[in-house]
Amino acid sequence: MNFWLLSPELSLVGIALTVILLDLFIQQKKVLAAISVFGLIIPIAFTIALWGENQASFSGMLVVDNFSLFFKFLILGITSLVILSSMDYARKFARFQGEYYALILLSAGGLMLMGSTGELISIYIALELASISLYALVSFLKDPKSSEAGLKYMILGAISSAVLLLGMAFVFGITGTTHLDQIADKVGALVSGGQLWDSPALLFGIVLLIAGFGFKIASVPFQMWVPDVYEGAPTPITAFLSVASKAAGIAVILRVFYTAFGIAEISADWAMIFAVLGAISMTIGNVVAIAQSNIKRMLGYSSIAHAGFLMVGLAAIGTLGQSGVLFFLAGYALANLGAFIAIIAISNKIGSDEIADYSGMARRSPVISFALAFSLISLIGIPPAVGFMAKFFIFNAAIQQDLLWLVLIAALNSVISAYYYLRVVKVMYVNEPTSEEPIPSSIPLRISLAIASIGVLVLGVYPWLVLRLAENAVAMFP
Amino acid sequence: MSLGIEHYLILSAILFSIGLYGALAKRNAVVILMCIEIMLNAVNIAMVAFSRYLMPDTVVLTGQVFAIFIMTVAAAEAAVGLAIIITIYRNRRSVDVEQADLMRG
Amino acid sequence: MLADYGYIALLLIAAITVPALILLLAKVVAYKSKRPDPDNVKSSTYECGMQTIGSSWVQFNFRYYFYALLFVIFDIETVFLYPWAVYFRQLKFFGFIEMLIFILILVVGLVYAWRKGVMEWK
Repeated sequence: MNFWLLSPELSLVGIALTVILLDLFIQQKKVLAAISVFGLIIPIAFTIALWGENQASFSGMLVVDNFSLFFKFLILGITSLVILSSMDYARKFARFQGEYYALILLSAGGLMLMGSTGELISIYIALELASISLYALVSFLKDPKSSEAGLKYMILGAISSAVLLLGMAFVFGITGTTHLDQIADKVGALVSGGQLWDSPALLFGIVLLIAGFGFKIASVPFQMWVPDVYEGAPTPITAFLSVASKAAGIAVILRVFYTAFGIAEISADWAMIFAVLGAISMTIGNVVAIAQSNIKRMLGYSSIAHAGFLMVGLAAIGTLGQSGVLFFLAGYALANLGAFIAIIAISNKIGSDEIADYSGMARRSPVISFALAFSLISLIGIPPAVGFMAKFFIFNAAIQQDLLWLVLIAALNSVISAYYYLRVVKVMYVNEPTSEEPIPSSIPLRISLAIASIGVLVLGVYPWLVLRLAENAVAMFP
Repeated sequence: MSLGIEHYLILSAILFSIGLYGALAKRNAVVILMCIEIMLNAVNIAMVAFSRYLMPDTVVLTGQVFAIFIMTVAAAEAAVGLAIIITIYRNRRSVDVEQADLMRG
Repeated sequence: MLADYGYIALLLIAAITVPALILLLAKVVAYKSKRPDPDNVKSSTYECGMQTIGSSWVQFNFRYYFYALLFVIFDIETVFLYPWAVYFRQLKFFGFIEMLIFILILVVGLVYAWRKGVMEWK
């Protein structure tokens, strides 16, 4: 039992509980947001201090290595940007700010644990800690759309976790253990004994695991919740959901599949599943996004498409694919957060998420419009934004693995996606404004928007800053 | 003929299928929640059966422990789910999921 | 092994025959009145007391749900207390502290619900 290894999560949960308790006794609710943001410095400091550590504790339930620390750092960064940008938005539910921030922190704690467990039970618990907090957050607003989004997310999320559990039950039944490294040993023994496919139960379990995790990262065919939930949820939560939840889902997939099922006889099979699902995800996401008039809904479909791009990296087995996926996630997180923070600022003023209402936004608020346009350009993958580098690394990894057909589909999809992203830019820059009023924004929101936009630019020009870390992080995979 | 693991797995599979069918086909949100509980309990049966039959002599009770965790998490999920259903009911006086269609596209 | 289930089958048979026998006996032995029953009193559910008013399928006050939700959460957490209690001696002082932390987190939830007025019937 080494509590030092668990310190980032412990301190995060401690802050969340402090926020809940303080909320009951103080009247000035703004203090809670400040405590949440400044409190996040503690777990971030612990994470940095732990960098380079490589050991397991709590009988293998907690694995601390550079891979898990990379994701902890990513999720803590996302969380702090989301909290910074929620301060204006939180006026809509002024009385319940304490719960809002505490639930975000608890959810972040669950997402962080997802990336750092080497064992099926704790993966499930961490996943549910994150999901249940998110169900409550999605239905946080008083309007019927938000409750409806929460209901859909909760029902589909619960079904998907039941499917995931059945998959875990079969994997446990065949291998007799829930520890990923012991599962790998057992699977290796089955392979060398030539009896791997004597019983289809293991294959069935693996397919169910892909289904359960696929829901988390919003890939086809488990994507139907995405547009509705993205539209109905409070905008900062949509941002959190689209990047943090996806990052943690990818972390779990990488760890489970490379650790437990990494042996070459199986990995070729699941890589093919990811390749096919990825190709379908990007195509469906990008084609349906063209028809959307609501920008949150459009970014929802774009998030499905990006799940497809990420799965190209998953299909490209090997270090290049792994580090490419990690870099892609960091770049996608910055670009998507930048877009959503700009949307939060604009919708606070005009009270609408329709793309048509953004007309002439560049004249009303040049800085926010430029940040939004730059984020969208990054999502297309045009240099100098980080999106280009991210796609470049993933496509390169896929070509090295002879997945040329997949890269062609992905490149074609990037071209399709340019149409609907650039349409928003065109509405903002070419169309006539409906009013001349500028868009107000608070200091915390400006700070978070600046961090996201500068991050997109810096990583686009100097990708090595994060790519080094990503290569370090995936070095632990066999 | 004696009772083997396959009987428990068949029971679990039947229960899981009933739950999945109900969760996808029913219209009442509360009934859907109940169907999800059936699915989770089907998994519990499979877990405990695997644990009991594959590792009968060990003191390691992984499957049973897993089942206990699933039960507690299911309770938390049901609590949040019911709370969401209550807010939906207050908004529109109905828990029919077919009427929850504000967003389309 | 399967033969053990024979006892359940026996119980099933007994459970069906005994009530059936009693009902049959009542039908044979019971005295049947020849007089008409003008107020339908004889055929009402209970032959005495107040008539029920309205349907018994009424909606409960939604405040009950808060109690139900709190009960579900605190009830199910005790599931962890039993295995802990069984192994209490082996777990020593460390296990005791861990369980205190677990209960402390639950107490935070209770304090929250209390301060938010869930316990009050407004």
